[in-house]
Amino acid sequence: MVKASRYIILILVILIGAGMAWWWANSPEAEAARIRDRQAKIVDLKPMVRLCTVDLYEEVPIRANIATRHLFGRTTLTGSISYDLDSVGQQWRGDTLYVSLPRETVEIYESTDPYAYQVYDTWNDKFLGSGKFTAHEENVIKAKVVDNYRRRLYERGDVARARKEARTKLAQMLSTVTQKPAVVE
Amino acid sequence: MITLLGALLCGCSDKGESRQSVYYSQIKSVDKLALAQLSLSKMATLDDLKFEEAKGLKQKIAAIGDAMKIGDRKAAYSYTTYMRAYIDLSTLNPSDVYVDDERKRIVLSLPEIQTEYQGRDPGFKEEHYRVTGLRSQVNADERARIKEHMNTMLLAEVEENPIYRNQLIEEARDNATAYFQSLAGAEGYEVVVNFKN
Repeated sequence: MVKASRYIILILVILIGAGMAWWWANSPEAEAARIRDRQAKIVDLKPMVRLCTVDLYEEVPIRANIATRHLFGRTTLTGSISYDLDSVGQQWRGDTLYVSLPRETVEIYESTDPYAYQVYDTWNDKFLGSGKFTAHEENVIKAKVVDNYRRRLYERGDVARARKEARTKLAQMLSTVTQKPAVVE
Repeated sequence: MITLLGALLCGCSDKGESRQSVYYSQIKSVDKLALAQLSLSKMATLDDLKFEEAKGLKQKIAAIGDAMKIGDRKAAYSYTTYMRAYIDLSTLNPSDVYVDDERKRIVLSLPEIQTEYQGRDPGFKEEHYRVTGLRSQVNADERARIKEHMNTMLLAEVEENPIYRNQLIEEARDNATAYFQSLAGAEGYEVVVNFKN
């Protein structure tokens, strides 16, 4: 009788264990915290007339440090180089139409593609030092990444190429319109 | 000025495209005329998982663990996402511009207005932050996961709720109509602007 009871208890323990294992395996992953999002709100809706000559899309590694704290990650940047056609100035000199192309608008954002921003590692060179970054520190790092990318666009000639393309397009358009030479400066 | 419209719409057909692989620039030459921009703000809060809201064994154990820790861990973040409405001038055909000189009338059939995500703010606005006691600070990788979650939710919202795109398209349509009418209006032409579907 005692022996039978032991078998029953053993079977029950095994069944409970198997049940717990099954529950564990089928449970959703435990997030470190609960995230509750609010519905997206429209904060601005603005009209524009911009000639977009270049679309930008680039994955950029992020290597940054503040004192002995380091961060490594990656971000996907998107954006465009465009020209505001509402600001195009024009002037007749003799038979030729001279047009001044406005300064380019270079917009750089973080992509909305999945996993467009990932942090792979944060650490501190100091023994037992915290490798954590505040939101403000992270924003400063990201602002530098965007500034560097913007500078690179100018350095490698992307902006110059966009401007050349915009000038060609506008000159073609205006000379067709006026049937006279058009110069886009 | 009549030909201005045709030229404006047709003169941008040269299309060069150059792409590089991952980690290199992907730059595409496009013939887009951007007409409106929509800014969408998204906010999310972060705090401990409550036991009654936990699903499954793992989350319930995590919720018990959080309840036993000393201190609070709460934060709120927001950022803005930008959408743009545009027309692709390269798809326009000469037959889409009809000029009636006798009646001083121009009929334009513009390409369908399209929308796209321009991107989102790289930064994260910290609306609230209170981590007390022995609780761990919110780190960069956790904020990145929060932003990813918010982005997924926002894209789903925009897909499910057409009001966002509709407002943007409506604004772009009005703006395009006003712009093209002003171009030819000075020459005394009546401009009728239609959009293809």
